[in-house]
Amino acid sequence: MTTNTDHPSREVLERFLLAQLPASESRRVLRHLLTGCQECQTNAGAAWKSTQPGAMSLPIDPALDARYDEVLDRVFQRVERVEQVLARERSQARELLAALEPHPIQRQFLMLRNSAKFRSRALCEQLIEASQERGFKDPERALELADLAIEISRSLPEETHGADPPTQLESRAWAQSANAHRILGNHDGAERCFETAEELLAESQGVGIFDEARLYDLKASLRRDQRRWTEALELHDRVIGIYQCLGQRHLLGRAYAQKATVISEVGDFASSTSLLRRALELLDPKEEPRMFLAARHNLIWALCETERYREAFALLFHTRPFYLQAGDRMNLLRMRWLEGQVAAGLGRSEQAEAAFLEVRRAFGELSLDFDGALVSLDLAVLLARQGRSTEVQRIAEEVLASFVARSIHREAIVAITLLKQAADQQRAEVDLVRQVSSFLRRSRSNPELAFEGGSGLEVPPRTAS
Amino acid sequence: MIALDEIFIETSLDTFLEDARPRLKNIFSRYRIPPDDTEDIVQQAILALLYRLGSVRDPQAWLIGTVKNKCLLYWRDQRRRLYDSVDSTVLEWIARPSSPEQEDDDIRRDLDAVIETLPSRCRALLSLRYGHGYEPPEVAARLGYSASSMSKITTRCVAMLTRQLLIAGLGRKKI
Repeated sequence: MTTNTDHPSREVLERFLLAQLPASESRRVLRHLLTGCQECQTNAGAAWKSTQPGAMSLPIDPALDARYDEVLDRVFQRVERVEQVLARERSQARELLAALEPHPIQRQFLMLRNSAKFRSRALCEQLIEASQERGFKDPERALELADLAIEISRSLPEETHGADPPTQLESRAWAQSANAHRILGNHDGAERCFETAEELLAESQGVGIFDEARLYDLKASLRRDQRRWTEALELHDRVIGIYQCLGQRHLLGRAYAQKATVISEVGDFASSTSLLRRALELLDPKEEPRMFLAARHNLIWALCETERYREAFALLFHTRPFYLQAGDRMNLLRMRWLEGQVAAGLGRSEQAEAAFLEVRRAFGELSLDFDGALVSLDLAVLLARQGRSTEVQRIAEEVLASFVARSIHREAIVAITLLKQAADQQRAEVDLVRQVSSFLRRSRSNPELAFEGGSGLEVPPRTAS
Repeated sequence: MIALDEIFIETSLDTFLEDARPRLKNIFSRYRIPPDDTEDIVQQAILALLYRLGSVRDPQAWLIGTVKNKCLLYWRDQRRRLYDSVDSTVLEWIARPSSPEQEDDDIRRDLDAVIETLPSRCRALLSLRYGHGYEPPEVAARLGYSASSMSKITTRCVAMLTRQLLIAGLGRKKI
């Protein structure tokens, strides 16, 4: 190393580290550091370290405290003024949304394009929220609302009272549109919308991680539907990390519950159980009672799958009030179905049979054939255990006839045909019925899944559909 | 848990902000953010919160978490600016030597000596960039990187070079 006695001062070194020096000065400091000057490296290193977050909170120097107060006073005053403007904008946005609603969608787009009053950030926010709420209830409208939000976000001025840039809002609108496409089964469309959403998010400087979490959360659902489990789990982990950082307990609980759904899909019920327990510690039943009930329901289900029937029984007992509170017929039927499974696991065959028959009849009335078939197979397992092979045979015949009549996917018919063959030969053992039942559950969201159970039986030609 | 709009009905924005004040100051102090630079951070975070009335569940925790994250981003930006500044200074030396010939030789020798202490991949990248004046696509082709990842990889290597220049002060062994 060469020597250079042109030592920069401590203050100059600090400004160098903050990239605040003019080019010529910066060049001089760098030149000096290149010589390996120990003294200046020590000073620069100390200045560098002083920009790292401290491990713990220490009392703040009174002078610094006063300067922070000055800044906060200024910001708080400004924010309070902006909040008054925002409150007005929100109220106007509600009226604008109500004014849009009665018109056909093409007219709604025209109104947005032709009238400046619709170019409102608050309206855009409300359209995104409305799209999210419609979600599964009315996915077509959810898509329209998200697309309207995209339209507005593109016309917003850059100046937004110092809030996030419009590109960030546009990114949220695209993510919401992607989710609506997903729910409508258009995975390619969803994929394209997510690409745009992510590009816009990357463009937004100093992006809020809350929006990142929402985007990853929605994208994880797409990956789950596409059965791309590893990617779905990675995205859920990112969401979990962000909500932990933001101290959002309820949303964190939600993210754990959603991750548990993916893990259940791959058949790891033990991990799913522990995730659901964690989720339930965080979820607030008052905030989102249906989510809380769904997590409890899935936990009881996972406990049954891992044959922990006593725990399932206790939890079901404590969850009954939530089912009753939800009150709709589907939730009550799901509860009754679980009661049957728990009773069967605890060896209370009569109770289990009564529950399964009741649920099967109700699903029949509601034309929910696939669910009816799954209950029938739970009943068939129970009957096979008791050696009631003629009844198992009758169930296999009924399910097969129903599947053929309803054109249920081919592999499901193959599986049921195999079960029927075995039942005809009085060989429908408990294990085979369980294999078929488990296969039907998994194939419901993946019709391409091939049935590979029933060893020793002749697989029928896969021509039926 | 109370939603933000409920909070503002029950109390007021003013009370909410005053409750947050001591924690905000602690974060800024802990993250060593110069007071002048805290203004944008805190303003953006509060406004983002106001715009998300419907979806934020625990506003105090949200605000604190967001401000912490923005403090981390602040330092990430500062670092990036430092690395860009080091990189452009070195590139400028190489493109327009302005010192006497002997001094330029010294600079090159000193720079090579520091680069020599870096891991082999960064050594190769920086030697091509500073020693031979290769453009990023050429470096990517020579070293087998994808063109799209070059910016990230270059920043990582310039970051290593910068840290190496401060090693004595950081009290660490050579990389």
